[in-house]
Amino acid sequence: MRFLLRRSALLLAALFGMSVLIFIALRVLPGDVASVMAGLNATPARVAALRQELGLNRSYLQQYVDWSGNVIHGNLGVSVLTGRDVGAQILSRVQITFPLILLGLFLACLFGIPLGCASILAPHAGVRQGLHMLALVGGALPALWGAMLFIMLFAKGSGLIKIFPSQGFPDEGWKQPVSACASLVLPALTVGIIVGASIMRYTRSALQEMLASEFVDMGMACGMTRVQAVLRIGLRIVSPQLVSVIGMTFAEMITGVMVIENLFALPGIGSMLVTDVGNRDLLTVQSELFVLAAFFLCIGFAVDVVHRILDPRLKGAALLASAEGMQ
Amino acid sequence: MTSVRYAFTVMRVVLRSMWRRAEGRFSLLVLGLWLLVSLVSMFWTPWSLWWTDGYHVWQKPSMLHILGTDGSGADMVSWLMAGSRTNLLICVLTIVVTAIFGLLLLAAMLVRATMLAQMSVVVIDALISLPTVLLALILAVPFGPSVAVIVAACGFGYGLNLARIARPQALLVARSGYVEAAMSNGARASRVFLGHVVPNIRPVLVVQLSMSAGTVILAESGLTYLGIGVQSGVPSWGHSLATSVSFINVYPLTVLWSGLIITCVVLALNLFGDALRDCADPLSNAELRSIRQDGGAGQSSGEQQSSSEQQSSSAVLGQGVTRGSGQ
Repeated sequence: MRFLLRRSALLLAALFGMSVLIFIALRVLPGDVASVMAGLNATPARVAALRQELGLNRSYLQQYVDWSGNVIHGNLGVSVLTGRDVGAQILSRVQITFPLILLGLFLACLFGIPLGCASILAPHAGVRQGLHMLALVGGALPALWGAMLFIMLFAKGSGLIKIFPSQGFPDEGWKQPVSACASLVLPALTVGIIVGASIMRYTRSALQEMLASEFVDMGMACGMTRVQAVLRIGLRIVSPQLVSVIGMTFAEMITGVMVIENLFALPGIGSMLVTDVGNRDLLTVQSELFVLAAFFLCIGFAVDVVHRILDPRLKGAALLASAEGMQ
Repeated sequence: MTSVRYAFTVMRVVLRSMWRRAEGRFSLLVLGLWLLVSLVSMFWTPWSLWWTDGYHVWQKPSMLHILGTDGSGADMVSWLMAGSRTNLLICVLTIVVTAIFGLLLLAAMLVRATMLAQMSVVVIDALISLPTVLLALILAVPFGPSVAVIVAACGFGYGLNLARIARPQALLVARSGYVEAAMSNGARASRVFLGHVVPNIRPVLVVQLSMSAGTVILAESGLTYLGIGVQSGVPSWGHSLATSVSFINVYPLTVLWSGLIITCVVLALNLFGDALRDCADPLSNAELRSIRQDGGAGQSSGEQQSSSEQQSSSAVLGQGVTRGSGQ
């Protein structure tokens, strides 16, 4: 309970720190928001008017209080360039990005954990080697390239086996569940392969340590076979580690997701962010970055809590305890 | 003079034992080829980078253009060769930034009984759940796309990872008897850190830094595709990949080469770290152990470690480490 309270306090502090960081980064770094927005050949008067309109000539503190107050009330502002409500935009975009990430993660675990176990426990040495190579190559694959290989293989129209659409998302969104799912299959597969490869590697190395541990010896003494002992006891012991690894890959996944959303022309939050950075719609970018950062900080929070639940040994210096406990 | 000769002996032994392993040989070959091509491309490429032939765009591979030409009629081989230079630069710079930043963080986390140490652990745990691409986006808004943005964002993110992953081991070292002995002899904290802690966690550092080098190549291709990485007109593998993406249905061959190169190099970098860790460890490499006994009899243990560090051809890490441990 004390842990939960401390960790939530940290989460709040991190959210605050993040908002300040994003705010300051977009103000202090070179490139005045107003002059960027007004365009290249804007008159000074126009820039000044724009500054007035955007409220940029007030003090930074006042601006920050205004913005963060709005964010706390759920009002993420309105894009000055397009006049659309940022919050509503993000909400509609998240409906695509979130299922994509979840589906990708699901596929990754589906491939990664069993194959990782198999690459340690398979009876044939050649199979073990092959699976290990597969994981290594999967981890070295650029998201962009992996996606293109999938398009060449499975895309409707140009692929070898023409099953899945390679571009866009149905206009009706989730009202057409079948075609919506179909358009997410290839992107999710790409994300899943890349994340799955790293999950596979970590599963393998964690189980490798387990192979020689006294836990497995104990299981075998109780009458289990070696494979049973590793799967039942070893896997349970390493599960907290795996959760934190999955949490960490989750954060890195967003790079892949942004690339993949752009490539497959999915109107998700990643492609939105890239478009807005390209348009120099800075006030919108500020809110979007904050929402994304908050999302990932919450993931980190959830991972820590799950880790704690799975591994009751973690008291005090968490990392040291886990390192010593493993030896 | 003898210590230089000793360093060369160690280097030869380590390289030879790496060459004997299949994955070590693969990584040495690929990385050697990469260095060679980068070097050659500084003085010579088959065609000038800016030579274009508007009448012969998207040509198939021929004797004239071994891999064909791209959309503006420029020679593919020349661009890929020149790209290897940019990618090498990005890799080296990122390793430097990661090593310096990560080790500074680690040092801060080891200082006991200070507010700073406790806070740094907490802050790093929070920051680590943020994807580097968000940082790159923040930086790219004011500065525009550039190599520096990639290096800064990735170096920061990987530095956090490095510190976090190396911390448990570093703590164990910091609490060991010989650190206590050194401290009671009046050694300064910085000396102890560089002379004892860093050499003893070298295996983790080597693996993490070579992984960072691989990951930054992947990140470069992703970020460049999103328009926040390498500027257009600068040759890089990610750039070649990104520009050929839109034509994948028409000219799939052009996409193949750059993706293949990136995958091979990243794979080689990941394997290189693992192989180096195993082969440069005197505990598992008997040959290395024997020359240590012969050649290093009169030398302090710190000096031995520093010379074997020089051979870890990631010379960058060496700079950070040898300075302290060689004293």
